[in-house]
Amino acid sequence: MKLRIITDLIIFIAIIHGWWFVALPIAAAGCWFFPYYIEIIIGGFVYDALFGMIPGTGFTAYLGIIISIIIFAGIATIKQNIRR
Amino acid sequence: MIYLQQNNHAKRNRKRIIAGIFAFLVAIVILIQIFFSHFFPALITSVARPFWRAEFSVASGSLESPQSLLAENESLKLQLEEANIRLQAIGAIELENLELKSFFGKNISATSTIKNKRILAPVLMRPGAGPYDELIIDGGKNLGFTIGNKAYAPGDVLIGAISDVLPETSKVSLFSSSGNILNVLIGPSNAPATAVGRGGGQYTAQLPRAVKISAGDFVIVPSIDDKPFGIVSAVESDSAQSFEIILFAPPVNIYQLRWVLVEHI
Repeated sequence: MKLRIITDLIIFIAIIHGWWFVALPIAAAGCWFFPYYIEIIIGGFVYDALFGMIPGTGFTAYLGIIISIIIFAGIATIKQNIRR
Repeated sequence: MIYLQQNNHAKRNRKRIIAGIFAFLVAIVILIQIFFSHFFPALITSVARPFWRAEFSVASGSLESPQSLLAENESLKLQLEEANIRLQAIGAIELENLELKSFFGKNISATSTIKNKRILAPVLMRPGAGPYDELIIDGGKNLGFTIGNKAYAPGDVLIGAISDVLPETSKVSLFSSSGNILNVLIGPSNAPATAVGRGGGQYTAQLPRAVKISAGDFVIVPSIDDKPFGIVSAVESDSAQSFEIILFAPPVNIYQLRWVLVEHI
């Protein structure tokens, strides 16, 4: 649990600074190591709320959420298949 | 065995309840986002803003000793004095230019001489290597900014326009956003070309090789502003191609911007 909170904090700091290239691999690793790592989706949402979500820009305003959901679902599927 | 089955059943029920709650929360978030599109950006930005402001203050030297701040203040006063003198000289040249134009019968529109009110706003976040090519500035509805207000870098360089306004911050979309298309005039011959944004203040355009363009030439965008919009940084030419690729960027470094001036109409 402690490790998960530390990971979340690192992701939060990276997102606040717009360092998606730091947040994304850490969050992806979190998805692999922790169960139900929905922080990745929350992180994507926070990133979009800070830097995206510009009215009139269509789905490109939600790239963070879209990518985080894809990674979350992808890693969950891989985990399920490998650990069956 | 019976106990195990009961446990599995309870576990499955718990999972369903959690999934239901999660789906309900997601639905609420989506509804809020649809009907109050500024709610989450404003809420989350208000959490991030103190961090950004603290970082800006540290970068601006707020934590330096009073002596060094006083020394910097003196040096800035000197620079301001020099800049004022230069500004007066420029003003005189502008006046002379207007007089000369009127001699030659050029019609000078009143709007070209009106200076709109501009508000100085600190840049809290600059474009990273991210998908959103924008600046986040400290000033929003509280300063009366509206969508479409133009943003200038120091030196009167137009760099973008406000695309979203939150209560205390605004997002400035840069004209160099990836895929953004602009009609530009390049070089001393004012060769018309279509420039495509590459993000981070960089643009690319194509011109026939016959047009002589070299690094350092000015680029202007007459539809937006008549002042230099960019400077040619490189010309990529291939003898096998009839076109050459012109790379240009604004005269200021977008990644080092600390302040912008927002035109307040």
